[in-house]
Amino acid sequence: MVIAEIKSLADINEMIKSFRKIFIVGCGECVSVCLTGGQKQVELLSSALRISGRNDKEKRILKGKTISRQCEPKFLEQINKDIEESDAVLSMACGAGVQTLSEKFRKIPVFPAMDTKFIGVSDEAGNFIEMCSACGDCILSLTGGICPVTRCPKGLLNGPCGGSKNGKCEANPETPCAWLLIYEKMKELNKLEELKNINNPKDWSKNMRPGKVNAGI
Amino acid sequence: MSITAMPPCQAACPIRTDVRGYVYAISKGDVSEAIRIIREVNPFPSVCGRICTRACESACRRGQIDEPIAIASLKRFASDETMEQKDIFKTGPYYTEKIAIVGGGPSGLTAAHDLALLGYNVVVYEAHDELGGMMTRGVPEYRLPKNVVMNDIERILSLGVEARTNTALGKDITVDELMKEYQAVFIALGSEKSLFPKCRGIELPGVITAVEFLKQVSRGQRPYLGQKVVIIGGGHTAIDAARTCIRLGSPDVTVLYRRTINEMPAGRIEVEEAESEGVKFRYLSAPLEFIGRGRIEKIRCTEMRFVADESRRRRLVPVEDSEFEVMADAVILAIGYNPRTDDIKDIEKISGKRGTIVVKDDTGTTNLKGVFAGGDVVSGPMSVIDAIASGKRAAIAIHRYLRSLPPKENEEPTVLKPLDEKIIPLIEKRPQQKMAQLPVEERIKNFDEVNLGFTWEQAISEAQRCLNCGAGAEISDECVSCLNCVRVCPYNVPVASEYKPKIDISQCQACGICASECPALAIDIKLDTKEQSIIKLQNAINSAKNISGNNSEIEFYCQYKKIGKPGTETSKETSIGKPCIARIDISQFIKPFEEGCKKVKILACKDNDCHFKECNKWLNKHVNEAKRILKESGLDPEQLTVVYE
Repeated sequence: MVIAEIKSLADINEMIKSFRKIFIVGCGECVSVCLTGGQKQVELLSSALRISGRNDKEKRILKGKTISRQCEPKFLEQINKDIEESDAVLSMACGAGVQTLSEKFRKIPVFPAMDTKFIGVSDEAGNFIEMCSACGDCILSLTGGICPVTRCPKGLLNGPCGGSKNGKCEANPETPCAWLLIYEKMKELNKLEELKNINNPKDWSKNMRPGKVNAGI
Repeated sequence: MSITAMPPCQAACPIRTDVRGYVYAISKGDVSEAIRIIREVNPFPSVCGRICTRACESACRRGQIDEPIAIASLKRFASDETMEQKDIFKTGPYYTEKIAIVGGGPSGLTAAHDLALLGYNVVVYEAHDELGGMMTRGVPEYRLPKNVVMNDIERILSLGVEARTNTALGKDITVDELMKEYQAVFIALGSEKSLFPKCRGIELPGVITAVEFLKQVSRGQRPYLGQKVVIIGGGHTAIDAARTCIRLGSPDVTVLYRRTINEMPAGRIEVEEAESEGVKFRYLSAPLEFIGRGRIEKIRCTEMRFVADESRRRRLVPVEDSEFEVMADAVILAIGYNPRTDDIKDIEKISGKRGTIVVKDDTGTTNLKGVFAGGDVVSGPMSVIDAIASGKRAAIAIHRYLRSLPPKENEEPTVLKPLDEKIIPLIEKRPQQKMAQLPVEERIKNFDEVNLGFTWEQAISEAQRCLNCGAGAEISDECVSCLNCVRVCPYNVPVASEYKPKIDISQCQACGICASECPALAIDIKLDTKEQSIIKLQNAINSAKNISGNNSEIEFYCQYKKIGKPGTETSKETSIGKPCIARIDISQFIKPFEEGCKKVKILACKDNDCHFKECNKWLNKHVNEAKRILKESGLDPEQLTVVYE
């Protein structure tokens, strides 16, 4: 899923400072699951903005709602009226959600309340960890299901490098060395021999931006 | 698992009292709410609070951990503490039909109560000069003081129920006569005719039935007992008679019972209490003959033993050559009771075995049109709660009969299953509160009530032991399947299923952590819903602002640590009690500041596991997050303080 983080309140206040009627839109998909952009956070952000705007001459009017999937224009129909009654929209979704909102409601400024970080998963201890760089040319079949493109800070296709110490990466001592993880997984799979093969450079042309996938509908 | 499953206490109660509801109300110190819940279904809370057979306690799931909740004692507490409240809802009459109730015991009076509330004109006929049946004539005052029974009865009469005492069916009135004046009749005569053992000498003076004995004593008479009294039987009435003899000063009181203590219908506690007062018990002993010249002098008895017959059922037989004699100045017979219906001619058509009345089903409908029957006269001697239940069913049946409605269908509730073995060790043990009693040396001198009732502290502490079964977490459609509930639950109740997480309501402890941590606000706790929380908080904020304007302060406190009698500190309007402080979500801490309050104080407890597991861990997390938001919003985070007490 897409992992995103809420921007600092100061940054959000700066974006919306000239607006009074603000509609906050949460998303019920990835950002709810990563605990940053669901209905609970919509309400907390709304409270925080109300408190921080307490000394304004004209009071802020804040409303909020969570859409089941913000990157789906059809789900956005339900907030037509709320949008009409607002001066600005704060989107608590990933960049895709913000842009879908912005495209759908062209006459009103839509601001991102979040910074979209990466594609990742929960580590079960309250953290979300990046797992996939969406490179467009997946090599997980060669690396025991562990992605070196994302999880090795150097993105090495053949590793480990000399900076692997005690199982950790020289770039960040908290980060496990992805290539050590690959080695151990391949050992469990009885496929250590395969690691002797040299992986060729990736085909980065498959990573052309903006990406497009034709699903044939 | 059905989300509407009933707690086992409620399902075990013959009148389905919302036990969880009133126990929770007491745990918050709200006795008025508790008695309101009880009285919704039970017109005799003072009685049931003292002498109920307490099927609820046997079913209580707390018993899987340590001991069940002392439910009856809590009911007594709610009733004792509200004795002076006379806020009776007087209704109707809405209907013109008149209903006669024959018998002023628990069954008849309950039917009268319910029918009066439904809006009927009700007249109760009672053969004796006083209402109450066995509650006032049978159970001695040291167990059930007459004034508390009369208090319950007065409430029933105040609904407009008319009582005609000294009017016996078969003697002063007949069913035919009643049916001319009334549109329905409910017969609840009770079961007071004593059974006699098949022995010679039963007619000797000094041999008396327990019912007659207790009745005489309840009227202030003092039957002659002499030095040695022998009580024959093993039920509640036998023990009641024995303990009454002790109080009348008899130096030597023995209960003779043909089986052992294990088969005794009276409870073990009652036997122990009687023993502590000096009553002697002789088990596996039966009378053969009552002997005396002009008056009882001794009883010839035999020892008994159990033998297994061909079908391997145990049978009681006399032991050969084991006869012995027991000296007795008085003998009290308490071996059983049948209804006294033999001289009531016009109910012959509906009479059954041993003086009972035959009914078609549990609504009490008989073969005579418009005539219903219930209580002990139908079932033989049962407990007071069974009599009440029977009166309630009859009231509904009579109402439906008079309004030509189809009979009510019996709905068997889905009951919460027992606690999982995995969860039991995670729940903090807390022993049951023990009610104070009069010291033995004092109580044997008079008929003062032996059990003294809970103090406020005891009642609240006992009520707080309740596991609030089935009042836990419910997941709504807003769920985004993040599985955070699965990760945070201190009891490991939520599980990831194929699509959405599932929370087994029968295992949920209602701690509220999952609800406070749900990013989609998709979980609500029935015990303390979001809606209730928001209303409570808004009321507190409004009060705080009215009292101190811009200097207002809101206080949250843990209901499990700090709660007391109404009128004490915690009941101030700006204080919000919570069934565990860890369940309060961040928005509740922030909201008062949004509304312009100056301070929020949280009174937390020092123990991390005071009632629920890990409560301080979650409290700290919520407080830190709230402080961060306050700081970012330009307020001083110290405006939110936690005080550990």
